[in-house]
Amino acid sequence: MDDKEKIDDINKLIDSELINFTRELDNVKSLSELESIKTKYTGKKSFLTVTLRNIGSLPGQLRPIIGNKSNAARKKIEADILKKEQILKGVEYEKKLREENIDLSLPGRGIKAGKKNIISSVIEEIEEIFIGMGFEIAEGPEVETDYYNFEALNTPADHPARSLHDTFFVSDRVLLRTHTSPVQIRYMEKNKPPIFIIVPGKVYRRDYDVTHTPMFTQIEGLVVDKGINFGNLKWTIETFAYEIFGKKRKVRFRPHYFPFTEPSAEVDVSCNICGGKGCRSCSGSGWLEILGAGMVDPNLYKFVGYDPEEVSGFAFGMGIERICMLKYGIDDLRLFFENDLRFIDQF
Amino acid sequence: MKVTLNWIKEFLDNYNQNTISPGDIANMLTMSGTEVKKIENTGSKYENIIIGKIVDFTKHPSADKLSLCKVDTGTRIASIVCGAKNFKKGDIVVTALPGAVVNGMTIKENKIRGQISEGMMCSEMELGLSSDSEGIMILDNSFRVGESFSKLAGLDDVVFELEVTPNRPDCLGVIGIAREISALTGIEFKIPEYDLDKRLNIDSNFIIEIEDYNLCPRYTAKIFENITNIQTPLWMRNRLLMCDIRSISLIVDLTNYIMLETGQPLHAFDKDLLHSNKIVVRRAKEGEKIKLIDDSMRILDNDILVIADEKKAVAIAGIMGGKDTEINPDTKNILLEAANFNGPSIMRTSKKIGLRSEASNRFEKKIDPLLTLYAVGRFEDVLNKITGYGIKGCIYDNYKKTERKRNIVLRTDRVVQILGKDIDKNTISRIFTGLKIENRIRDKEIDTIVPSWRYEDLEREIDLIEEIARIYGYDKFDSIPTTVTGRRGKYTGYQKVVREIRQSLCDTGLSEVINYSFYSNDTIKKFKLDLEKEYSDNVEIINPINENFRYLRTTLLPSLLKNVRENINHNIKDIGIFEISKIFKKRSDEDNDILPLEINKIGIILTGKRVQKSWNEEERDTDFYDLKGILEFIYDKYYSNSILKIEESDYKFFHPRINGSIRINGKKMGIIGKIHPLLVMEAEINQDVYYMELNLDDFVNNIRKGKKYKPITSFPAIDIDLAIVVDEEIKNDDIVNEIKKCGSSLLKNVRLFDIYRGPQIEKNKKSMAYSLNFREDSRTLKDIEVEIIVKRILENLGKKFNAKIRE
Repeated sequence: MDDKEKIDDINKLIDSELINFTRELDNVKSLSELESIKTKYTGKKSFLTVTLRNIGSLPGQLRPIIGNKSNAARKKIEADILKKEQILKGVEYEKKLREENIDLSLPGRGIKAGKKNIISSVIEEIEEIFIGMGFEIAEGPEVETDYYNFEALNTPADHPARSLHDTFFVSDRVLLRTHTSPVQIRYMEKNKPPIFIIVPGKVYRRDYDVTHTPMFTQIEGLVVDKGINFGNLKWTIETFAYEIFGKKRKVRFRPHYFPFTEPSAEVDVSCNICGGKGCRSCSGSGWLEILGAGMVDPNLYKFVGYDPEEVSGFAFGMGIERICMLKYGIDDLRLFFENDLRFIDQF
Repeated sequence: MKVTLNWIKEFLDNYNQNTISPGDIANMLTMSGTEVKKIENTGSKYENIIIGKIVDFTKHPSADKLSLCKVDTGTRIASIVCGAKNFKKGDIVVTALPGAVVNGMTIKENKIRGQISEGMMCSEMELGLSSDSEGIMILDNSFRVGESFSKLAGLDDVVFELEVTPNRPDCLGVIGIAREISALTGIEFKIPEYDLDKRLNIDSNFIIEIEDYNLCPRYTAKIFENITNIQTPLWMRNRLLMCDIRSISLIVDLTNYIMLETGQPLHAFDKDLLHSNKIVVRRAKEGEKIKLIDDSMRILDNDILVIADEKKAVAIAGIMGGKDTEINPDTKNILLEAANFNGPSIMRTSKKIGLRSEASNRFEKKIDPLLTLYAVGRFEDVLNKITGYGIKGCIYDNYKKTERKRNIVLRTDRVVQILGKDIDKNTISRIFTGLKIENRIRDKEIDTIVPSWRYEDLEREIDLIEEIARIYGYDKFDSIPTTVTGRRGKYTGYQKVVREIRQSLCDTGLSEVINYSFYSNDTIKKFKLDLEKEYSDNVEIINPINENFRYLRTTLLPSLLKNVRENINHNIKDIGIFEISKIFKKRSDEDNDILPLEINKIGIILTGKRVQKSWNEEERDTDFYDLKGILEFIYDKYYSNSILKIEESDYKFFHPRINGSIRINGKKMGIIGKIHPLLVMEAEINQDVYYMELNLDDFVNNIRKGKKYKPITSFPAIDIDLAIVVDEEIKNDDIVNEIKKCGSSLLKNVRLFDIYRGPQIEKNKKSMAYSLNFREDSRTLKDIEVEIIVKRILENLGKKFNAKIRE
């Protein structure tokens, strides 16, 4: 056998060893199988180890050729095994993780969320709408003087409109405010136009039955500036109503009477239950009253030292409980102050 | 107020229901300021109810109490079984045919004791006309057999329920509403006119004396003698009924009828029961008594205006007549009163004596004094039509004339300024003319004269602008956006923090309640608030609804405890709620402010389980530290580099030892503690309740502004754990303060992590374990430095508190 034949012979053996290795490696499914293949192909008794160990017995000119070939094969085998080992380890780790089973459907450790009162939530919602239109929030005392609550609002002592406000008195001149409107006067006394404010707060009337509570909540609005007109009032109220009740509702302005606005209006939105056709909720009219509004009566400006020829403005006021009732379908006013958590926690 | 369409139509010329429907009228009235609350078609209630005639009747063969009637219904003879007894052959009766609805029941043809009955003859009660259920209704011969009952009885009508605004007394009558409709539609308004002036005060057989024309500007009266006392015609009774007024007698019905029509209240006295031929309108004497028509006895005073004869008061002016002189079945001669009284005075009296009437409601709103004479004329006219009394006799009238014409100049520029729309001058003029406001267009102005019935309400240019707007139609004005140049909407700092705190409290699991601002004297006593300086000085309501609403709260505690009890009653036992509300305190006299102090407070109440038993957690009752934790939660959010301290206190509503004041940076801002178990028991609550109240104004206003960044150090910290044994009485705060004092600037944080009591240490002692965190921002700290400091801390704790290190 000449050298060439010998080389061919050994090369063939190495190649077939590699083919066998590759085939067997493909079938390996576990690290222990991999271990036995590792021993078989790289162990002391493996073909390549034996070949390399016996390389000295080969003729000198053949040694480098066979040596290189064997080493290359061995390196490939070792690399393949390492690669396979990493794959198998990943699979087995994953398998181990899979055994860590928990019931995802068990309830979490409790963090109970409390609920803001529906009145506060709706006030804040309304505040945000008006802040977006450039309004600020003003506040005033709940115990008021007759002057701010009535007189400066164009409602002198014997005015018929006073009979609509049954009032709680602290003394002859001091009372619980019957509306948030006194803040209009207080604010105008301290500020100059332009005025864009809303005023949330509690108000009190001496009335206690199914549809009246002695205390309830209002939001008042006041805008005074040069060039403010009835069209501005309509725009502001419509924008508000669409925001809070949805764009699909219709809004209508109906003439009304308030002592401190002229012209005055009551504002209705179309009934959401019947869509304006008329049903029990809207007593057949198709409309639900949401607020009162109007152009500030020029007399008021005299009380606060504005020139009624120069500035004009509008005001509006609404009952928050009513807005809540319309928005959430609440049918009993008394629920708001009974503080039953079964009610409060619904919102 | 209710009015009917047929009634209105009497004052509108050529009103055509086909062009303008009742619905259109309702809509126009609503959209011009007189809201129509309800429209009711009364005719529809009487379908298939017709006029019948009993042509014959026999006894029911098998029932003693029933009759078998043959009733002519106009088209045929019907057999009807009837239980009434009050009829005879030939009587005209109201017959409900099959299909009619009577008393909520649909009439059907059926058999009664074996006899066919093809309908029913109705009583007044069954027809909803009165409470009279005695027998069936018998009509006179003027009712034509076969015709619809509702049509002939004046019930084929549409009733409008109106809300008339207080500035429009002129609309408190059918005529006023007709006038409005005329202005809105252009249909001509027409009322009967009476020439009464030449009959004014033509004799002096009767005298009207008015003490004070301010209180009674006008008193018009007429005597009607030998009145024929017949029954009120059915149509009039029904018209009154539709307007919610009960029929009483012809004269009383007529006074009501004319009032509903003209808006002028009338009163009729039995003239023979008056003690003189003289009426005096005067202030009541102190203690003077009068029995009113409603049988109530009233004791009067000098502020109350009365109508009197020479002996005594016979009516409270403008409110109600007296019992002694009222119209009765024997009345022959009457004195009719049509007066005008001072609105405010009537309002005050009505309030004072707690009596409102249709009359007072109208007088309160200042009605037109010119109305009195017209109402007398109208009364006479209608009375004459019914009884043939005649148009005759003197009308006594005492009237101190005042100016009832007013000129107002309207500037067209001003209309645009207020309404934002340029309305054509001629349109404005047309609107005014419709409203009977005389007007003349000049260049940029319109001169007007307002009519007498609008004298009180149209005083200024702005009032005319309102008239233009409401008749023109609010829906015809465009919406015009306001500009936002130069301003920005925002919360103030205070408002923002309050809203944040509300949210934060919800995030700790609390729900927000809102209570009435009131409580009772009992509550004050029960919580011993009158014994605490901080919680006394309650503001008192002088006219509370009842004793539970007598005082304004100085603390939110009683209301919140009530909420707890009521929720426990609903079986909700684990409760955490808060309220943000004002409390009120009377000021001392030297404050020179008549308004009380108003302070925003947060009240928080906790009770029941703080942690519910769960599959992975043990249940735990609420304790003081849960509540303190909530305080620290909001405190930490707003106060850094500050000192929060709970100072032992002795509020009487708290447990004697679990009883503290909250101080932040030394300033007292609230209270915290366990509600006194006796108070809790008294409220029938069987679990511990913790309460905290924070002065929100102080809390928010003292937040230090201007936070500054401190660089984050990368040098490591050294943590040292320290356990000391001290007497039970030694407070954690004192130990921590002492540690901090000796800790130098290197000590960054002290945290208590364990308290131990038990066999390993002496009795009445506790072991407190702290973790101390040391750091130097600019370099790595050496162990030895820390050891020296710790040694110093221990020495001081030893000296101060006799603390021993726990080995």
